[in-house]
Amino acid sequence: MSDGGREIERGPEKPAPPRKPGGEEFARAFVKVAVAQICESEGFQSFQQSALETLSDVTVRYIRDIGKTAHVYANQAGRTESNVFDIIQGLEDLGLAQGFLGASDIEHCLASSGTVRELAQYVGESQQIPFAYSLPQFPVVKDRKLTPSFLQIGEEPPGEHIPAWLPAFPDPGTYAQSSTPNDRTTELKMAKIEQENQRIKPERSLLNLNQWLASNELEGPSVDAGDATKAKQAAESNPFLAAPLQYGEKEVSPVVLPVKTKLSNDTTTGNPIVKYHGMDNHVSVLEAFTPNIEAMKSGLRDSEEGHKKVLLKTRPTVQFKLGSGKKYLGSMLDSSPQNKSFQVTESWFGRLNEKDDKKRRAEQILKESVGNLQELDHL
Amino acid sequence: MNHNKQQSSDLGHDDDAALSDFLASLMDYTPTIPDELVEHFLAKSGFQSPDLRLTRLVAVATQKFIAEVASDALQQCKARQATVVRDKRDKQQKDKRLVLTMEDLSRALHEHGVNVKHQEYFADSPSIGMDPASRDE
Repeated sequence: MSDGGREIERGPEKPAPPRKPGGEEFARAFVKVAVAQICESEGFQSFQQSALETLSDVTVRYIRDIGKTAHVYANQAGRTESNVFDIIQGLEDLGLAQGFLGASDIEHCLASSGTVRELAQYVGESQQIPFAYSLPQFPVVKDRKLTPSFLQIGEEPPGEHIPAWLPAFPDPGTYAQSSTPNDRTTELKMAKIEQENQRIKPERSLLNLNQWLASNELEGPSVDAGDATKAKQAAESNPFLAAPLQYGEKEVSPVVLPVKTKLSNDTTTGNPIVKYHGMDNHVSVLEAFTPNIEAMKSGLRDSEEGHKKVLLKTRPTVQFKLGSGKKYLGSMLDSSPQNKSFQVTESWFGRLNEKDDKKRRAEQILKESVGNLQELDHL
Repeated sequence: MNHNKQQSSDLGHDDDAALSDFLASLMDYTPTIPDELVEHFLAKSGFQSPDLRLTRLVAVATQKFIAEVASDALQQCKARQATVVRDKRDKQQKDKRLVLTMEDLSRALHEHGVNVKHQEYFADSPSIGMDPASRDE
């Protein structure tokens, strides 16, 4: 028979998608069995899977509704425990949709309620259908092992404010750190944290390359001797953790930096001159900043080579001596080499001592401002 | 109404007796839904009762409800089968198994105040639009 091939008992047994086991699954499975048994006694021979699930869901809701309504009626009467009359009232409420005998009676005793009578009728008529499985008592309550109190142990509670009937404190070994065995682990942790920090740094963009180099040099001496071996090992495996190269170690192509980083770089390198500028008050602001504007206008094209030379010459001397804001003055002047003679004096400055520096510097500024005024005339 | 008034005034105690008898009879009747299951779901909604008879009462009431819904659905199913059969192969068609389907169930539940809507079809398999009893789910 072609029909026989397509008949289903309870839907095809597809592998169910893995669901998280919840507390309801266990109970719902049993409800499905009970509902299926009831339907079978009514005359059904098979079910659709979704129909069975829907009906079992309705069953659960029905039971919970009866419980809720009975509880509400009990509370209304000032009791916490429900009794039979609360349930009968709940049944009446739920049965109003379908209707029962005597529903329209205003005053009627609950004991003679139509719902009860119908129930008695049902019990008398229908057959008993025993449940297919034997259920254990659920949910299972786990026996808690309570912590014994101070009195039970026989201990004195530490401190007067703690009564003896409270549970005792746990063993200090379970929560406190002991000193000697753990020192090594903390050291290792610190080393790991430092390595992590060093690993994060190379991820910054090239724009911050100089800052990174400077900061890395500063941090170099802070690495402990104990971690040196670790650093070496790490350096061998990871190129980003290697110690930075000193100037002249490796042949590198010249770096072309935009104006901004060029400025920041020069703050670190133009140091012998920085100290002077705290004294340089008589130069007017406009004069001081015209080279600044000029440098911006001229752009990288003219000043590229000069920048490179400045960089390569002065890179090793990193001295962080950040003075007042007027360091910009010096840096701007450094970075606007409109004539090559300026560069020569730039390198020459590194060798002179301070006082001579100030003198030369003053002359230089005057020359520069004159030169700029000439340029302005050109413009 | 007279009958009721008479009941309430003279034979009031009979009702109580009837009720207590009924509850006693419940202990003999084992409902299909086991007691532990009913207690579990009742506890979820805050129902507290040490009396087992009350639990049995709820179980029986639920069983009656399900039985009513199932019988309504069965009537729907049979009515549907009666209208569908038109072929020459009458006997074979009528001997078809009675399957509880979502359509019959939703109609039966609707009378009891439960609104169940279900998808008519999912267009993801070749057996769409066939007789629901005979198609694979």
